[in-house]
Amino acid sequence: MHIVVMTKPVPDPAAAAERLDADQRLDRAASPAVVNGNDEYALEAALKLIEAFGGEITLLTMAPAAGAETMRKALAMGATRGLLISEPALAGSDVPTTAIVLATALGGLTYDLVLAGVDTSDGGGGVVPAAIAARLRLPYLGNAAKIEPDPPNGRVTVRRITPIGYDVLEAPMPALIVCTQALGEPRYPSLKGIMAARSKELVTRTLESLGADVAGAGGAHTTTRVLGTRRPPSRGATTVVRGSAEEGATAIVELLAARRII
Amino acid sequence: MATIWVVAELDADGSLARISAEAATLGRSLAQAGGLDLAGIVVAADPVAAAEDLAAFVPRVVAVNEPATRGAAWASIAAERAAALIGPDPENVVLIGAGPDGRDVAGALSAMTGLGLLVNATGVSWTDGGPMVEMSVFGGKLITTSSFTAKGGIITIRPNSVAVEPAGARGSIVAAAPQEPLTLPRVAVVEQVAEAGAAAPIEEARIIVSGGRGVGSAAGFDLVASLASRLGGVVGATRAAVDAGWIPYAQQIGQTGKIVKPQLYLALGVSGAIQHKVGMQTAETIIAINRDPDAPIAEFADLLVVGDLFDVVPVLLTALDARAG
Amino acid sequence: MATVSARNPADRLTEEQVLLRDTVRQLATERIAPRAAEIDRTATFPEDIRQLLAEQDILGLPFPVEHGGVGGDLLTVCIAIEEIARACATSSLILIVQELGSLPLLLAGTPAQQTRFFPRLASGTALAAFGLTEPEAGSDAGALRTRAVRDGDTYVLDGTKRFITNGSVAGLITVFAVTDPDGPKHRRLSCFAVEVPTEGFRVERLEHKLGIRGSPTAELAFEGVRVPAANLIGAEGDGFSIAMATLDRSRPGVAAQAIGIAQGALDTAVAYARNRRQFGQRIGDFQMVAAMLADMDSQVEAARQLLYTACLEIEAGGPEVARWSAMCKLIAGDTAMRVTTDAVQVLGGYGYIDEFPVERMMRDAKITQIYEGTQQVQRLVVARALLGRPGS
Repeated sequence: MHIVVMTKPVPDPAAAAERLDADQRLDRAASPAVVNGNDEYALEAALKLIEAFGGEITLLTMAPAAGAETMRKALAMGATRGLLISEPALAGSDVPTTAIVLATALGGLTYDLVLAGVDTSDGGGGVVPAAIAARLRLPYLGNAAKIEPDPPNGRVTVRRITPIGYDVLEAPMPALIVCTQALGEPRYPSLKGIMAARSKELVTRTLESLGADVAGAGGAHTTTRVLGTRRPPSRGATTVVRGSAEEGATAIVELLAARRII
Repeated sequence: MATIWVVAELDADGSLARISAEAATLGRSLAQAGGLDLAGIVVAADPVAAAEDLAAFVPRVVAVNEPATRGAAWASIAAERAAALIGPDPENVVLIGAGPDGRDVAGALSAMTGLGLLVNATGVSWTDGGPMVEMSVFGGKLITTSSFTAKGGIITIRPNSVAVEPAGARGSIVAAAPQEPLTLPRVAVVEQVAEAGAAAPIEEARIIVSGGRGVGSAAGFDLVASLASRLGGVVGATRAAVDAGWIPYAQQIGQTGKIVKPQLYLALGVSGAIQHKVGMQTAETIIAINRDPDAPIAEFADLLVVGDLFDVVPVLLTALDARAG
Repeated sequence: MATVSARNPADRLTEEQVLLRDTVRQLATERIAPRAAEIDRTATFPEDIRQLLAEQDILGLPFPVEHGGVGGDLLTVCIAIEEIARACATSSLILIVQELGSLPLLLAGTPAQQTRFFPRLASGTALAAFGLTEPEAGSDAGALRTRAVRDGDTYVLDGTKRFITNGSVAGLITVFAVTDPDGPKHRRLSCFAVEVPTEGFRVERLEHKLGIRGSPTAELAFEGVRVPAANLIGAEGDGFSIAMATLDRSRPGVAAQAIGIAQGALDTAVAYARNRRQFGQRIGDFQMVAAMLADMDSQVEAARQLLYTACLEIEAGGPEVARWSAMCKLIAGDTAMRVTTDAVQVLGGYGYIDEFPVERMMRDAKITQIYEGTQQVQRLVVARALLGRPGS
């Protein structure tokens, strides 16, 4: 089974050190990057699938050149190879451009499944996978909590989380699946995996070598423009109530009433 | 002429999802400000009920009768039918909820129309001939303001960003039954399972009572649930509580769970680690009950009651009853 | 979560070493740190942590790839030790001793011996221990009394070993014993790979210790223990030089442990100084506290950089190996003691009780000034490198 896992380097949410460039876009080169947390669930799901069914995992990332560093960790976790699409013109790419580039890159790969994380911790839109699936006319299965491929019949069954429970979806492969945390905790890279990661294939390609039709991609032809960035207004000081349970409950009721919640 | 389109989502019973009522209310204020047409789209095998609901908010609703949505995943079908109605005009504005279904529709719609996309809007105004979109990014640490270079584009709207308000006059409903073959592959829904204890969609809840590690057990969540039900809210949880198996993943709030923006967030035994904070810090009012006065949540709650939740919550329930009685 | 200082590859680590450090750090933070207090309180060997280290190939770090190991160089092993020790000194000792006990085989074992013993050590199936110290022979390894007498195809071992870390949980102990009691000091000893349990081998008792309480420190009795001659490591009489070469290479591991303990204490102290408020301000904003933290950080970083350099020098070989090895352990051990003591001071009353980990770290730090050669012995080694042997 061939699985492509789409991963994105994001500013480390734990470092809280996101920096913005002159255009008010994230300065990705200046912010410490990690593999997007939700993408690690997708990778873990892929690793479990190839353990069960055999096969290979190709990582697909669109990022600045430094994205290779975070891809190494994913390779150390057990992915087979990596493909990094990197080009300065892609800095600040909007959703349509990102989807076109990644869809074009997928067009050059062989796969039964494409797995993506449910959203990213930076942009957080969670819309790119659906756009890619629509471009490539791939069956799209979102919010997956369980993935059960049936390779002999070329089909895949997915449990999709819904507000009230779950739906069982079924589609032919190749298909694109969006993965949630419910698929299981990502593993730690083993030390042997780390030592082996350097010798794994990690190819960086430009738009031209990809043949992507996104002339003037990124900044110049983007469909969206950032006008400004600000910090949210800070909340007022916290009122701390220590004392009996009655005093605590009274303080809560009074605040709820003052704010007309009850 | 460019149009503002609201693509509706449906609840399980076929009625209009609240997020779509919010999007429609927002659409009306934008249409007035920009002097644009406003229309809604409902795509379903039985679109009538939701279309009736939506007509309370917008002057025109296209009710697309699409039997293919029966037994198949809804989003890509809805996106394809909506794309055909919306057309290629780059000045069209499309409003969709930022929940799981809305995101799926928005992504596919962007691919099919070529329209740009701004996600997770917490506020939209009409400025310089187009929408100006406020978004909360990096888990609420920054607010960015963006616009579309082509004036039009698709915007996904965070639940609870707009107060729902029906229009003065009901809109008209136009039935449609497109015959063009669908080109996106269909994904079959072979089974729909309702899980016991599953709650209303947490992203849309106006009141959330959430439990963390301090709740201690699945049984402990009974108390969380009683308070939620007493306040007319839903139950949320931290990742620690979900990982411990006390409550389903669908209720998880935070970095790898849902991002919520309720009117009230009442946190019981929740420390407020950064991974959780990014999912709820834009709540209007945050109240915490925690034994640890130095827990991180002390830094961003409006009110912190230092104490054992199992002591305070029963007293609080009594106090609420007394007030109601 | 403890604060994680985002240190950049300014410290000249390879891409693998950075990734390995970050991975072990995450593992230690998420899986080992939550167990550390309990391991200390119950003074029980953490079998779960041993399994975790084995599963993640961490115990395979010192062993060659062809024998199932990871093939990490000395610096890489030390980086892993530091990250584990930052969460739990006892747990880091599992890796330290896996290397220490195996070093005689790594340095002087035949290919056949390595093939026989390394796979199970590299996989973590068996733990190693290092059997040098005796009740009457601590720093003075020349005073060993345990005897090994050749009898056909075997050697018969008799004697007592003391302060043997992991002696009660090891499957393989490298034991040093006298084969030529009348020979010159440097030729009296030989080294044996002893597979245990075996007839005549007994764990006499376990010590009650100030720190590293989850690590079993055993007194071992050998009464007529028969060891195949094929288990002799090196030649007869090579024991003393094997022991010294082993310690030259293993002391950086203790230095790494010391630095990890110190860093863990510093992390706790910094987090506390950021959050704890007295007289209306963060205690870190008081200059006296801020200065302590600055000194602690500078000392830890100085010790770490010395360790890194020492690892590279030792790996490169050369006549100065003993000096580098002694210096890094000396500085790191003293730094750990000072920094953990200061961390307790920064936390005040809270530092003295087990609600915070710094009192444990202070107790754990002490051993790094004692084992694998006391600080006094390290100074002796460095002084000898400067002055030559007494009387020369």
